[in-house]
Amino acid sequence: MRDFSYLRAGSVDAARQASALPGAMLLAGGTTLIDLAKCGVAEPDTLVDITHLKGLDAITVDDRGATIGALAKMSSIADHADIKSRFPAVSEALWQAASAQIRNMATIGGNLMQRTRCPYFRDRENFPACNKRTPGSGCSAIGGVTRGHAVLGTSEACIATYPGDLAVALVAFDAIVHLGDRQVQVEDFFLLPGTTPDKEHAIQQGEVITAISIPGTPAARRSTYLKVRDRQSYEFAAASAAVGIEFEADGRTIRDLRVALGGVATKPWRARAVEAALKGKVLEADVVRRASLLAMEGAVDHGANHYKIELAPRVVARAILKMGETA
Amino acid sequence: MTVHITRHGDASDGTEAVGSRLSRVDGPAKITGAAKYAVEQQLDGLAYAVLIESTIAAGKVRSIDTEAAEAAPGVLTVLTPDNIPPLKTASDWLGTPPPDAPYCPLAREITFSGQHVAAVVAETFEQAVAAAALAQVSYDEVPAIVDLSDGNAGDGIPIDAMTKAWGDAEAAFAAAPVRICAAYNTPREYQAPMEPHGLIARWQGDQLTVWEPSQWLDGMARTYAEWFGVPFENVRLVSPYIGGGFGSKALALGHGAVAAIAARMLDRPVRLVMTRPQTFTGYGGRAATRQTVTIGADADGIIQSIVHRGVNETSIDGMWVEPLGSTTSIMYATPNFSSRQNVVRVNSVVPGAMRAPGENPSAFGIESAIDELAYEVGVDPLEIRLRNYAEQDPHAKKAWSTRQLREAYAAGAERFGWSKRSPKPRSMRDGNQLIGWGVAAGTYPVRRAYGEAMVRILADGSVEVESSSIDMGQGTYTILAQTAAETLGVPADNVVVKLGDSRFARAGVTGGSRLAGVMTGAVHKAASAALDELVGLAISDPRSPFHALQANTLVVTNGRITSPRGEGPEVSIAELLASVGRDRIEAKGDTMPANSTAEERYKNYTTIAMALPHTEGDYSRYSWCAHFIEVRVDEDFGTVRVSRVVSALDSGRLYNPKLAESQWKGGIIMGIGQALLEEGIVDRRHGRIVNNNLADYLVPTNADIPDIEVISVGIPDPHSSVLGGKGVGELAIVGVAPAIANAVFHATGKRIRDLPITLEKLI
Amino acid sequence: MTNQTTIHLTINGHQHELEIEPRVTLLDALRDHLGLTGTKKGCDQGQCGACTVHVDGQRVLACLTLAAQVEGRAVTTIEGLAEADGTLHAVQAAFLEQDAFQCGYCTPGQIMSAVACIREGHAGSDDEIREYMAGNLCRCGAYPHIVAAVRQAATEVAS
Repeated sequence: MRDFSYLRAGSVDAARQASALPGAMLLAGGTTLIDLAKCGVAEPDTLVDITHLKGLDAITVDDRGATIGALAKMSSIADHADIKSRFPAVSEALWQAASAQIRNMATIGGNLMQRTRCPYFRDRENFPACNKRTPGSGCSAIGGVTRGHAVLGTSEACIATYPGDLAVALVAFDAIVHLGDRQVQVEDFFLLPGTTPDKEHAIQQGEVITAISIPGTPAARRSTYLKVRDRQSYEFAAASAAVGIEFEADGRTIRDLRVALGGVATKPWRARAVEAALKGKVLEADVVRRASLLAMEGAVDHGANHYKIELAPRVVARAILKMGETA
Repeated sequence: MTVHITRHGDASDGTEAVGSRLSRVDGPAKITGAAKYAVEQQLDGLAYAVLIESTIAAGKVRSIDTEAAEAAPGVLTVLTPDNIPPLKTASDWLGTPPPDAPYCPLAREITFSGQHVAAVVAETFEQAVAAAALAQVSYDEVPAIVDLSDGNAGDGIPIDAMTKAWGDAEAAFAAAPVRICAAYNTPREYQAPMEPHGLIARWQGDQLTVWEPSQWLDGMARTYAEWFGVPFENVRLVSPYIGGGFGSKALALGHGAVAAIAARMLDRPVRLVMTRPQTFTGYGGRAATRQTVTIGADADGIIQSIVHRGVNETSIDGMWVEPLGSTTSIMYATPNFSSRQNVVRVNSVVPGAMRAPGENPSAFGIESAIDELAYEVGVDPLEIRLRNYAEQDPHAKKAWSTRQLREAYAAGAERFGWSKRSPKPRSMRDGNQLIGWGVAAGTYPVRRAYGEAMVRILADGSVEVESSSIDMGQGTYTILAQTAAETLGVPADNVVVKLGDSRFARAGVTGGSRLAGVMTGAVHKAASAALDELVGLAISDPRSPFHALQANTLVVTNGRITSPRGEGPEVSIAELLASVGRDRIEAKGDTMPANSTAEERYKNYTTIAMALPHTEGDYSRYSWCAHFIEVRVDEDFGTVRVSRVVSALDSGRLYNPKLAESQWKGGIIMGIGQALLEEGIVDRRHGRIVNNNLADYLVPTNADIPDIEVISVGIPDPHSSVLGGKGVGELAIVGVAPAIANAVFHATGKRIRDLPITLEKLI
Repeated sequence: MTNQTTIHLTINGHQHELEIEPRVTLLDALRDHLGLTGTKKGCDQGQCGACTVHVDGQRVLACLTLAAQVEGRAVTTIEGLAEADGTLHAVQAAFLEQDAFQCGYCTPGQIMSAVACIREGHAGSDDEIREYMAGNLCRCGAYPHIVAAVRQAATEVAS
């Protein structure tokens, strides 16, 4: 790691001011930032430690929804009784992410800032070309080992997969990021790579994530997060789906459906075409399987990641059908 | 701090003798953090070295700009091919005299990506890491041969020593009514021990001390001595605990030379530890392999012919042969057989030994192929193995010393419930999960060598055993304590075993599952000599309380000496030593032929040239096992999870079943990783492995592993070792991957012949 | 030397003062500066769990934690787990009895993780133990015995 200065912010305002300085970065759980600093991908001059700020880790849940302080740990949210009962997909996305140790370190605000696991992005020495790391340098992944790369939301500049789980669930349930007074839909907080893959988040230097809020809905209450991967645990998704469902009074007709995908796209990916195709339909396996194929509209593979185009709709269908079984 | 622990000996008879389930004697140090591994020595003046590795796979280093790195805070030196003092080339592990040529551990000529090209040494670890990032290496790159499938790789070099043939295999195959022919591939796999490779080197005058995790202290000491042109005795290797090796820590490697050179240049101790990514290129894992197996059989599945062709990769300038016909040639009786093997040079680090080199990939081929034959002729996969059971070694044409494989099949099948298997593929399921049951056998030769040990009986009656052999988790500390305790008639608690220092009695390599057999034999011999001297003193020394008894012999039980018939006194060992005025009895014993020369002894411990062939004399000696494995395959996702394992194993007599079972399970678990997860993935444009870390090179986690049942079916094998044991450590991984592939076929109807069996192959 | 800073760490109940750079991780501070080498470095990039320690009672990875970050927090390492008189923690004793390790290198991390796993209430079944211990890799393959040890210790801790 390059040498840097370390300072502890005494307040959110102090953190905001300190992080506005050139070369300054906010340090929360450190599970992404310290890792990337060791890879030489992050080169902060100053780390502004916000983990000692008080009052930013509260989790409040009521009928309107949940509000989670930015410094709440992934593990506390995953194990929170009201989150488990009212937002099962959020809890499940969290406990299936990373490892118990990392979930004890990583904060929900930091989790939104998690960066891709693209091996070319992470290896500066061997692969100097990376538009995400060095704008305009090219993309080493295209034409390389692409088994883990995205099939949705890619561009000629970048095919790096968004690696996280939590944000997939957040996107499904229209969660909002609070940047102090400014609020942004989580879905809009993540940017497509386009020609500027270095710009990943709709956050400005000097802004601080203070909270996440998730509207309480019947679909969020009947929800699940299904994660498929080579290894049973401690691995990023090959494909995952956050699904929430609300039935009409007949218990069979779909009134509301939320579907988002992980492990296959450059950002947490809302599959609105699947939702639209199934809303108002009676839940039946064949119909669900057919509609789930719509999740891959516009998908482009790069060879070794082709399987994701086959796999992801099956994950979506399984998750939707699982929610139907519990009707 | 004192540690209070409860000793758990054999619950059945309360003893701690050989064969009992004594808990690990090194356990208390390991569970409290007190066990100091090699690079954890705290030395004054320690400097920290960091390696810089090539980013191209083939070509030349044009220049290295070290200016910024040298100017960085705390930097003591930057070593490059231009300024590093050359060493002498050392002999190989056979002891072949080396060419009289200089050896430079930093390369100018690049033959693989990840080759060491420079090193930075600084006052602190952080400074060394930061400065290393500032060095600019420029290259002249040429096209690389990236792997076995590279268009420029060619057919490779035939290895005549691997050719095995009897009968007329081609003709018999052509005439056979049933014919199976398939190609089986295994990828690059990595040992990935949890403790990364590294060392601390310190010079005091012309004496070099190296604290380094090592599977072979004497062999590595020889290499360091030859590199630096100092006498063997001047090099001391210290390796009290080893954080896993699996074959990868047996040889002194380039990074060790770099650290030792830096230590000498700076006249300071230097620590160099590879980063985790560097462990994927700093030394070799298991070579990628390809095999074709053809089997000709009659309509009942009786094998008439096996024709086997194998290829493994090696590096551009090193030679590694992964013996792919090893299991193929001995598992089944066949009147006609032919096996040949080539190696192909690619731009990779030279591959190395990884748990059961040879037998493991070999078994993936033959144990998959026999399963294919079973379905072809419509015979149960277990039954076809019994129909082709080899009653003697088909290759060596010698009797097996012991072969409890039939017993393993029977015990494993019974416990697993194999008879309830529905024979048709895709015929067992649980919801979305397709269930498959597979079986495969495994084997590993009994590698034998001569050993040496020092046994001391001290004034307080306690016993000390010393050996430069090592314990990387196999349980050497424990079984040697048990051996000495049993031989001398003292409680295991009274025995202190000291390992991992090349100043102790010498030891050969810890590899090929030979150490337990070799060292229990050596300790047994040394302890017997010590006991003889003790009893001799007790009988004949005029000051001994037994002197008047005129006994022929005495017995020692639980640390107390008595006459066999219980007449006369009963005294403790300490009391006896005190009475005869001795402060210790010391016996160094070895199992080498009595007339061995000093040169032969040196060669025995520092090379593998004197290992005894497993088919020496009248017998062929192998360990055997049979794995019965259940998988659950998600029919939509293609994910495979192992849900049940029952393995029955013949390792001969077990010196400590508790520890042997652990090793067996460990082998099975590594086999599960090999079958389902592990693969070094190469970027073909760069000739570089891209998943060079533990998040991307997937080894099994706890969540991937079901409960595993192991059954010992071994019987003491007097032809294999002094105390009757055969190899334990490597055996259990052999056959796991084909058992899983066979189970996946049974579950899905898809035959996967390329490891690992990842979801896209089944989706 | 540049950018040295003085930090105060509380480790296993003892106060330590260190002059180190801010970039020094908790793992390197423990191993290289304090001689507490029980905490192991397996990957140094958050992928193996060998460096697991407790910070304010929670299991975390010391390799991705800066030493400066834990100033004012209580750090517990494997060396501080047994009682002062040497009496082993129930998890340590269970690891020995169940032979839940071989080479021993991942073991301190496994044990620290297991203590927390039980405390968190994630040792309710074998499958839950497997999942919540999945962040600690063991290449020797002691997993079934680790599960047995955690199960045994969880029962003892509860009783």
